[in-house]
Amino acid sequence: MSDANVQVTAAVVPKTQKTRSLWSDAFHDLRKRPTVVISALVILVMLLIGFFPGLFNFQGQNPKACDLALTRGGMSGSHWFGFDEFGCDYYAQAIYGAGPSIQLAIIVVTATLLIGGLFGVLAGFYGGWVDAIFSRAVDVFNSIPFLLGAMLLLTMFRDWKIPGLGTRFQAIIPAAITLIIFSWTGTMRLIRASVIESRGLDYVQAARSLGASDRRIMFRHILPNAMAPVVSLIPLSIAGMITAEASLSFLGLGVRPPEITWGMMISTGAGYFTTGYPRLLLVPSAFLIITILAFVLLGDAIRDALDPKLR
Amino acid sequence: MGRYVIRRLLQAVLTFGVVMFLLHYLMSLAIQINGNPVRTFFGDKPVSPELLAATKAKFGLDDPCLSRVGDPCLNLFGKRMSDWASFDFGTNFNRADVSELILNAIPKTLQLFLIVTIVWVLFGITAGVLAAMRRGRFLDYLVRIGTTLTIAIPGFLLLILTQKIIGVWLGNWAREEFGRDSVLGIMFQPSYNARYPWLTLLVPGIVLGIFGIAGITRLSRTSMLENLRADFVRTAKAKGLRQRRVTIVHTLRNSLIPVITLIGFTLADALGGSVITEGIYGIPGMGKLAYDAVKKVDTPVIIAVTAILSVSYMLVNLLIDLLYAVLDPRIRYE
Amino acid sequence: MSDVKIKSEILPDADPTATLLRVEDLRVEFHTRDGIAKAVNGASFSVESGETLAIVGESGSGKSVTSQAIMGILESPPARIAGGEVLFHNVDLLKLGKERARRVRGNHVAMVFQDALSALNPVWTVGFQLSELFRQHRGMSKKDAMARSLELLDLVKIPAAAQRLKEYPHQFSGGMRQRVMIAMALALDPDLLIADEPTTALDVTVQAQIMRLLKEIQIERHMGLILITHDLGVVADVADKISVMYAGRIVEQAPVLETFATPAHPYTKALLKSIPRLDTKGQRLEIIKGLPPVLTNLPPGCNFAPRCAYAQEICTRELPVLATVAADRAAACHFSSEVIQDV
Repeated sequence: MSDANVQVTAAVVPKTQKTRSLWSDAFHDLRKRPTVVISALVILVMLLIGFFPGLFNFQGQNPKACDLALTRGGMSGSHWFGFDEFGCDYYAQAIYGAGPSIQLAIIVVTATLLIGGLFGVLAGFYGGWVDAIFSRAVDVFNSIPFLLGAMLLLTMFRDWKIPGLGTRFQAIIPAAITLIIFSWTGTMRLIRASVIESRGLDYVQAARSLGASDRRIMFRHILPNAMAPVVSLIPLSIAGMITAEASLSFLGLGVRPPEITWGMMISTGAGYFTTGYPRLLLVPSAFLIITILAFVLLGDAIRDALDPKLR
Repeated sequence: MGRYVIRRLLQAVLTFGVVMFLLHYLMSLAIQINGNPVRTFFGDKPVSPELLAATKAKFGLDDPCLSRVGDPCLNLFGKRMSDWASFDFGTNFNRADVSELILNAIPKTLQLFLIVTIVWVLFGITAGVLAAMRRGRFLDYLVRIGTTLTIAIPGFLLLILTQKIIGVWLGNWAREEFGRDSVLGIMFQPSYNARYPWLTLLVPGIVLGIFGIAGITRLSRTSMLENLRADFVRTAKAKGLRQRRVTIVHTLRNSLIPVITLIGFTLADALGGSVITEGIYGIPGMGKLAYDAVKKVDTPVIIAVTAILSVSYMLVNLLIDLLYAVLDPRIRYE
Repeated sequence: MSDVKIKSEILPDADPTATLLRVEDLRVEFHTRDGIAKAVNGASFSVESGETLAIVGESGSGKSVTSQAIMGILESPPARIAGGEVLFHNVDLLKLGKERARRVRGNHVAMVFQDALSALNPVWTVGFQLSELFRQHRGMSKKDAMARSLELLDLVKIPAAAQRLKEYPHQFSGGMRQRVMIAMALALDPDLLIADEPTTALDVTVQAQIMRLLKEIQIERHMGLILITHDLGVVADVADKISVMYAGRIVEQAPVLETFATPAHPYTKALLKSIPRLDTKGQRLEIIKGLPPVLTNLPPGCNFAPRCAYAQEICTRELPVLATVAADRAAACHFSSEVIQDV
């Protein structure tokens, strides 16, 4: 920004005005924007569908009770989206298909924050050889293109079962672990950078001179500030994970059957698109795109609100 | 400059070694956990221990470490590396020579990525730069909506939809209207056609390019915006330079440096995306090899493809980092 | 074609006998989210060839905006020139077409910026950035342009100039970088040089060297010099006259010596008291209490009134205009005669 503009804005903002924190300022800004409100509502609905599909199963159809006689049957009042190739109710499938992807995305993003956050703080705080080891590890994981690495892992271990897990988790966890392995590096690098930045700040030095322990400085003083850039990226990360899972499902490598996901529905529905049943592709695609779009729009808005200078 | 280059090269060698070891370890681990794949050759048929042992020996899968879960099989690592270094990836379980499969597939993938790179530079950077220069106006909003959509629509879905809509519907119309061998009729095809390699690669190439274009466009835009308000741009104006020179020589040149690095990283997404693209469009490249291998659980092929694409990716990024030093003198004299 | 001929072609209507630069009632606004900020509210001043005018004020007083308005390099939007004239040899620079205004920059009016590290492009060599002036404005060959650039570096006393042409800005020390900035501004032999806080980013010893260099070259070339600064210490040494700006207005205008001896505006007086001096050693420096006003919401009356020791009721009601208080001297204060006498 030119010097003149800085000076003007500095003089324009009245010092007496109630100073609001960055976050509450951003929140006030966001609340007024229609795209944000609509995206937030869509996300809320999709989360509800993902965790309580029964609430939205208005006709009480069982997604797994299929009748081959009804294969690719048309839409009707009690079967809004008709039937798929095996004669299963397509609306119920779409509703129950939300859960695995959304739950997986949330698991992966949470784990990424924890792992990447921990490693990032350690690397940024201690520097030296600790940093060198973590940074080289990041290099290694970043050297393998994500989808290729995920394909490799999931193909190699496709028959591997984790003992003692319920069906839902058995279906989700292999894909989740794979996605975590290839995505913690991004969080780690962000956290590391902001920890290095805040390590030298006055209040950290002050805490240190008062005899605070390393652990206390790291987790009470540095981490809360260093988290901000990562936290603001959560909606975008969730969108990315839903996309990644759908791509893997399309290859038959994501969430495992018997669970249903939109990616699997798209994969099978694609074959019927030009043979008179475009709905079998379009219904799951619409669900998927609307969900991802909502997360992306919200995520973009949050990021812009926290860093408004380049909006 | 020398120190920077040496440090970067050492890092690359180290990373390369670790990646190779990880791939090797994964291969061993998969056998240790899932059981020796040789057994699956014989299906349900009963097989004598001697025949089994002989087959294992033939595929080099007879080392006892392969039955100890977690054993890194270091003794096999050296052998595998020297095999890979001489471009020998063994045979897959259909007894096809993996190296040959890959050699035949490389040109198609290169062709595809040539198109992808052109799309990134031609559309991605241009759109970002123009959006920054028309900030807050129609074009800026258009670019922003466009990039948001390319993020929100998963690549594989975009590929399926374009294949069906452009390849089938639009293509059928074009073939009816202009004839089977018209340019449009060939270009808008649902799958690759070896008789017209470039024309039929165009649509899937552009769609694959759209995979990573949002990041490139957005970074071009922000980088350009940041530099447009830089002090040195104001100096350039104060020097009475023409607007075009201020924009190109004093803003664009500086803005492109981070974008080039991002292009290197975006390559990773596109390499993964090439599996889906080549799979859906039936392009006989490396991605198609991996796509088919996934369906057939053909591990040796997946490993070989992953290893080669990872190494190419590392090489490209190494080159970009060295190029970075050429483009940004502040790095050069660090 | 000779430099002089090229330059006379840019402004054929210029009257060389008229005042070098006369700014009349300049007004600049910034359109921000919080409303319209009036950064410059009717500034008027003039400079003759060979003369040095110092424009003094705090951050946000509008002095940098004024200089950029003269140069024609304000970002618009958000900036908008709301009125006034910038007369260069009697030609209004604000009314020139884009192309002509561009050619005036560098050829007739040039500028030295504050922080040379950020004001020079980090990815081009110093030689490139100097020689492009000759190549773009004079159409010289690469070789000739480089030769001229070398002369320039010699002019601003940069040692080993031939070698340094090939180096990048970050390889220079702060003082040397500022010399490069000055060389760049002098390249096309401008008639008016605007130096916006040219020494603020430098060490004190280097500051003095740079100011001396600027002054030498100014005298040698008989240029007009506008020195933008917040540092009254610098002003005393080099300036002939001074304009004090506050909240986008000029509040006092006078020859330097008179201003320093008997300031006519309470703000100038306060500024003078806030510089450390040898003869006040041991005494506490005075600071100006309060903050500059908010430019989007200027109250009626005198903008300095809330911080002013002389303020009376009239000051919050009526805006004082810049009025003559003595020969060559003007001040915008209802009580300037009292301020002058009050030592």
